[in-house]
Amino acid sequence: VEDEIKIGNAVSEGLRAEGYEITWAQTGEEGFFHASSQGFDLIVLDVMLPGRDGIEVLQTLRKQGSKTPVLLLTAKDAIEDRVLGLDAGADDYLVKPFAFAELTARLRALLRRNKPEPGGVLSIATLEIDPIKRIVNRKGHRIDLTAREFELLEYLARNHGRVVSRQMLARDVWQETDRATPLDNVIDVHIARLRRKMDDPFETKLLHTVRGVGFTLSEDNS
Amino acid sequence: MSLLQANLRTRLTVLYASLLGAALLLYAGGVSIFFLRNLREQLDLSLHRDVETVEGALSEDGDGGLQISSREGEADEDDLDRGYLLEVWSANGRLLYRSEQLRGQPLGPVPTGSAESNRQHAHSVLLASGMRLRSISHVHHLADGNTVIVRLAVSEEHLWHEFWEMVTVLGVGLPVIVILVAFTGYLVAARALKPVDSMAQRAAQITAEQLSERLHIENPNDELGKLGVAFNTTLARLERSFDQLRRFTADASHELRTPLTAIQSVGEVSLKMPGDVSYYRDKIGSMLEETSRLTQLVDSLLTMARADSGHVQLHKAEINLFDLVEETVGLLEVLAEEKHQSILIDGDRSTLVTADRTILRQALVNLLHNAVKYSPEHGDIRLRIREREHDAIVAVEDSGPGIAPEHRTRIFERFYRVDRSRTRAAGGAGLGLSIAQWAVSAHGGTIEVQSESGCGSIFRICLPKHVSPVGVR
Repeated sequence: VEDEIKIGNAVSEGLRAEGYEITWAQTGEEGFFHASSQGFDLIVLDVMLPGRDGIEVLQTLRKQGSKTPVLLLTAKDAIEDRVLGLDAGADDYLVKPFAFAELTARLRALLRRNKPEPGGVLSIATLEIDPIKRIVNRKGHRIDLTAREFELLEYLARNHGRVVSRQMLARDVWQETDRATPLDNVIDVHIARLRRKMDDPFETKLLHTVRGVGFTLSEDNS
Repeated sequence: MSLLQANLRTRLTVLYASLLGAALLLYAGGVSIFFLRNLREQLDLSLHRDVETVEGALSEDGDGGLQISSREGEADEDDLDRGYLLEVWSANGRLLYRSEQLRGQPLGPVPTGSAESNRQHAHSVLLASGMRLRSISHVHHLADGNTVIVRLAVSEEHLWHEFWEMVTVLGVGLPVIVILVAFTGYLVAARALKPVDSMAQRAAQITAEQLSERLHIENPNDELGKLGVAFNTTLARLERSFDQLRRFTADASHELRTPLTAIQSVGEVSLKMPGDVSYYRDKIGSMLEETSRLTQLVDSLLTMARADSGHVQLHKAEINLFDLVEETVGLLEVLAEEKHQSILIDGDRSTLVTADRTILRQALVNLLHNAVKYSPEHGDIRLRIREREHDAIVAVEDSGPGIAPEHRTRIFERFYRVDRSRTRAAGGAGLGLSIAQWAVSAHGGTIEVQSESGCGSIFRICLPKHVSPVGVR
């Protein structure tokens, strides 16, 4: 549910490209009507809507017993606003402007909620990551990583094939919630080091920088 | 217009005039009563004298009648006001004599009972004719042993006449005085309140555009002067914050405009250029880079705006300062490693402060980030934690170029950059130190810088020390 046409268009287009089925409502009433008449797996709800705002729609839905996971989109990021949204029954919260990569990551997280993370060894092309023993091998060579580098690589591997933004890394790997903290340089340095250890000695590069968006771990070289 | 709505000047005048009127009225009343008493006392004194004279002239005339040897002093026909009036009764209630001028009107009731019970002090009597008299009753023993009751009276008309004359003088004079004083007071109040009028006029002319105007103060020590000084100080503060706001808005829009311009021009140019997919990818990527810069800038601005409006709630807890510094270093040390710098921490490991961890850490992150940024390759960065009696200090020392004196006071200002030409990529938005300063002062602490050109800089954060709860062991 999003009233801003550009954002609505971009999000629906992007999500369709990811293989989701989308119904886009432009007002709170419309959104509420769809949400209460069809069974959705997930609702992305803007807070600032004409007429009935997102929080109201959400509260009414929850009152009716709907358990559909809801991700709130909003331009307000004060702690009180977040608390308000989560108290109203939201499952997650994303502040505008957001990276599309982050939106899809959050949606995936909501969809697989209650399903345990696969514990087994992650392998991407010739790279093997054992999250339990915290060991990384590539083509049989053991790669020594610091704790932070390992977490970074594991996060990239779990999102492999998709782009991960710096903001996602700051929040999920560095646990830094405040977006004003200057972490970009720190992240870049870690990525550079990781790349030196796991990519430089090998011919096929796995860790790619997507300019302006973030990083991706992928055997595909585009 | 009711009195309450009237202007201060009128209200003051009316108030003072009424007070004065009431006071004068009381005074005049008191004086009149005193005056009347005095007159009566004099009258009574002469009554007593007259009684003695009259008694001396009384004698018995053989057949039980009364002989009055002298009538000198008795009132005569044409002048009742002068002289006395006399009535003499025998002890058994027989009228022995009554002055003619009384024309049969008694000076009192017929005496009954014992003679002594008819003795009376001086008192006022109203005759049936309307005449007011002052009368006295005496018991007189005649030479032959008979007892008579002598009643003597004099007219009070003269007394009352004098009294009313006095009251008239007072009654006419009093309002005249009150009116005169009120009028003068009104003029004086006008003079005293004139500065208020001129201040009000001047204040009404001051708008947001003319905050540099000030009120003219004649005497800064009187009440109105103090009011004016207070008003001027408020104006000065307002002017300062307006200036700050104006500069902030100008700076902020400049900072916002730069990435916007980049996005626009990159977009326009690449739209015109024929290119392949990778060309467009690169251009879009470059636009996205600017977008994330914008996002960060807006986030910083929001942080500042929230700080300004006092909306930030501190979630204070007891924090080990050394741990926090170590954590901050852990976060940023890779940046230092890239430049082959070494970061040293020394100081007391047990120093505790009460602070909001996230916010205080932000201050430290910003300071350390700057230290890494400005220290040269292979430079040293030193973090010292010290405890003083009441506060805890974290000093961040870099080995950078230092800050020249003219910049030193301004580096905490928003968007202030020592080197204006420094690119945003390297220099950030110039908000880091302002945010750090806010974060520290939100904890009741201070932040200061000590620096000499060429010798590095030391940033010191002073925080109030954690106070252990009393009585807990």
